[in-house]
Amino acid sequence: MTPARAPSRPPALRLIRMHLISRHVPAAVAVMLACGIALRIALHWRWNTYGALQLPLMIETACAVTVAMAAASPFGEPERAAGRWLPWLRLGVAVALTAIAAGALAAAGTGGAHLAGGAPAVLRNLAGLTGIGLLCAATLRGALAWTGPVAYMMIAVYALYTRWHGPAQSTPWIWPARPPHDLRAALCAALVFAAGAVVVTVRGARDPNDD
Amino acid sequence: MNVEITDLTRRFGRVRAVAGVSLQAGPGVLGLLGPNGAGKTTLLRTLATVISPSSGRIRLLGRDPGAHRQRREIRRRLGYVPQNLGYYPGFTVVEFVEYFALLKEMPPATVSRAVASTVERVGLGDKATAKLRTLSGGMLRRVAIAQGIVNEPELLLLDEPTAGLDPELRVEFRALLRELGQRATVVVSTHLVEDVGSACARVALMDRGRVVFHGTPAELSARAEGTNAAGDAPLERGYSAVLAESRS
Repeated sequence: MTPARAPSRPPALRLIRMHLISRHVPAAVAVMLACGIALRIALHWRWNTYGALQLPLMIETACAVTVAMAAASPFGEPERAAGRWLPWLRLGVAVALTAIAAGALAAAGTGGAHLAGGAPAVLRNLAGLTGIGLLCAATLRGALAWTGPVAYMMIAVYALYTRWHGPAQSTPWIWPARPPHDLRAALCAALVFAAGAVVVTVRGARDPNDD
Repeated sequence: MNVEITDLTRRFGRVRAVAGVSLQAGPGVLGLLGPNGAGKTTLLRTLATVISPSSGRIRLLGRDPGAHRQRREIRRRLGYVPQNLGYYPGFTVVEFVEYFALLKEMPPATVSRAVASTVERVGLGDKATAKLRTLSGGMLRRVAIAQGIVNEPELLLLDEPTAGLDPELRVEFRALLRELGQRATVVVSTHLVEDVGSACARVALMDRGRVVFHGTPAELSARAEGTNAAGDAPLERGYSAVLAESRS
């Protein structure tokens, strides 16, 4: 018999580590860092106005999808029927990954690179898109969490287009099309993120076996 | 009584998967028999606090699963092995069982020993450090059972636990069931009447969302007397007789 390896970390840290691994968090972080690097490289090129606004939005969407898909559980129902730590672990993963994505994308826009809207726009767009993704994960399932953010991105791309080819779509619910310091747009994005985070914390991503 | 169910109904849209079930179970093994679509899995999921009832009342281990704090207490004392358990293929057997032990808030000092002894108990001691992706279907089934029993649950719910196990392992598993049933309430949903005959002190037979029989395996067998019920064994004939009677 092969003896079981003695745990080397405190139980809480082991639980967190195993939860992060089971949610593919290391891979998700790698994707986000790659997105940050891609954005940084892209910002060195010359873009017309549409491209300068749309390219960061697409990369923000990729990061948001990554966060939302990490909400999926490989374990299903037994995990949901086990103890009280799971909701906090879910919340921790969603918030930490969003923060890492925001940091990676904001860092890409520093040091002379011109990121349209700057860090506030990145944070707002990313938070809102992530909220949509988390809501999709909770209502559809983790594997389909990409649908909402991608659909929203297409709407937002169209809304950006209408800023120059009216009639302009100006609702704050389409926050990427609003100026970076628009308070109502920021509130809408924050509200959607909060809703997504709460739903995923309480319910988790929908399981394929769910009714 | 560790399980008290009163007039439980669970609907999915217009379909009543469980229709007014009342059932009680104390320590021991209760076999849940029934054809496909009888409502066994829905009843187990409700008992596992994974889904909530549409109506009716449940008390598990003397607590109300509808109340947040009490549900937490129930979950710490619960073991649940569904028909299809997901796996993270990169985990080892020990990591997988330990993850559930930690989630179930077992005292940290006991986790390591409990995990090692549980892995031994399900016959996977020599695979303790093997990655799940390298295990066969039967071994994965045993891993699933290990996560369900690692916390020495007072209430253990098993959905088709012997599916995918070879006959030798099935016999071993029935012995494990009998052992677990000495301390805990074990509810086993199964299609296999042999499992019920050899491991269960009591049987509940479900059909179309209702419990149509509740008693001992011997009482179920006796229901076939004087009938032409089909089956190769007394329990199978009793099963067929009760189903025929409930549908007539």
